[in-house]
Amino acid sequence: MEEDTVAGLIAKVAAADRAAFRDLYSATSSKLMGTLLRILGTRSEAEDALQEVFTRVWLRAGRFDPEKGRGMTWLIAIARNHAIDRLRSRSPAAAGDDGDELDSVADTSLSAEGSLIAKGEARRISDCFATLEPDRAAAVRGAYLDGLAYTDLADRYAVPLNTMRTWLRRSLLKLRECLDQ
Amino acid sequence: MTSDDLAMTPQDKDDVLAAEYVLGVLDLPERLSVETRAKTDTAFAARITAWENRLADLNGGFAEAPAPNLLPQIEARLFGTPAPRRRPLFGWLAGAIAAAAVAIAAVALLVPPAPAPLVATLGAEADPLRFEARHDGQTLVVTRVAGTPAPAGQVQELWIIAPDAAPVSLGLLTDAPLAVAYPDTPEGWTLAVSLEPEGGSPTGAPTGPVLAAGTITDL
Repeated sequence: MEEDTVAGLIAKVAAADRAAFRDLYSATSSKLMGTLLRILGTRSEAEDALQEVFTRVWLRAGRFDPEKGRGMTWLIAIARNHAIDRLRSRSPAAAGDDGDELDSVADTSLSAEGSLIAKGEARRISDCFATLEPDRAAAVRGAYLDGLAYTDLADRYAVPLNTMRTWLRRSLLKLRECLDQ
Repeated sequence: MTSDDLAMTPQDKDDVLAAEYVLGVLDLPERLSVETRAKTDTAFAARITAWENRLADLNGGFAEAPAPNLLPQIEARLFGTPAPRRRPLFGWLAGAIAAAAVAIAAVALLVPPAPAPLVATLGAEADPLRFEARHDGQTLVVTRVAGTPAPAGQVQELWIIAPDAAPVSLGLLTDAPLAVAYPDTPEGWTLAVSLEPEGGSPTGAPTGPVLAAGTITDL
């Protein structure tokens, strides 16, 4: 496996190295901004969230364990979790505004998927997604990339909430089987 | 859940729950309950990490987006000043921390047995809710000395606020003292307690009313 420079920077941040913290920001803020923007939909909220994410990175860097995963995976998990918490805590009125954003995001998700496969970055995961029925694979991807909740997915695919849960759980078990091979 | 006809072992149920959390499909109360469990249940936390790694290849689907330089605001929140040379406060960072090689991590530690020097009182003497902050040179310990915990479904969250910067959460206050590894108690900074929904503020900024606050001084 290639050297994980991001993990190296996080280890230095854990030792309160402020220069490394700045380097980490330079190296990863565009990716994290893209992640937050995709899930939150507006630049102003994504920027707000980016500040919080890097604050947490500084505070939690000591808990990062390079044995358990790559640095970028850890950072994106912090960003996604924070963005999803924000989405889920929006008031119902604010959540109503999301309708249009989600539709526009849905279009970009297709092209992002296409480029993902084309670049061959995630050959294995796209092979495993190919073992799922297409709309279920799209539901899993939509949840991960766009931060869709069970209720959003049930609306989008016009199925009862419990049916969506069953679909997704079954898909997850199937994905696990394929990815762990 | 009558239509859920999946026959799952308890292990599979845990694993699916971890996957649902990583995927992000749960609602806020469910997310908070997963996060609370992961703090103490290491096997369950490992399932979450495993799913983060399994799905990490999907991260290629997040396109990069130009990020403005937000470091001045972030550093102001964490270190108290956007311009390192402006204030002497940085002595504590450069010296103390580097030597101790300790992050200002919000890591809960065992509470020291002897009471450390008092550095701040949150709330006035007559207030129904009051906290004391003590610092022994390494750990900031905040204890409720008057009043009661938040009502069910809500929590009291502790914040540290550098002058002119946004608050940073130091954790949730319960009946036990809250201990946070903190290398120094920067004089003039504010400690505040706000009322937040269960699990703490989801946004990283206080969302509820301030219940008590005090300035850090060399008392």
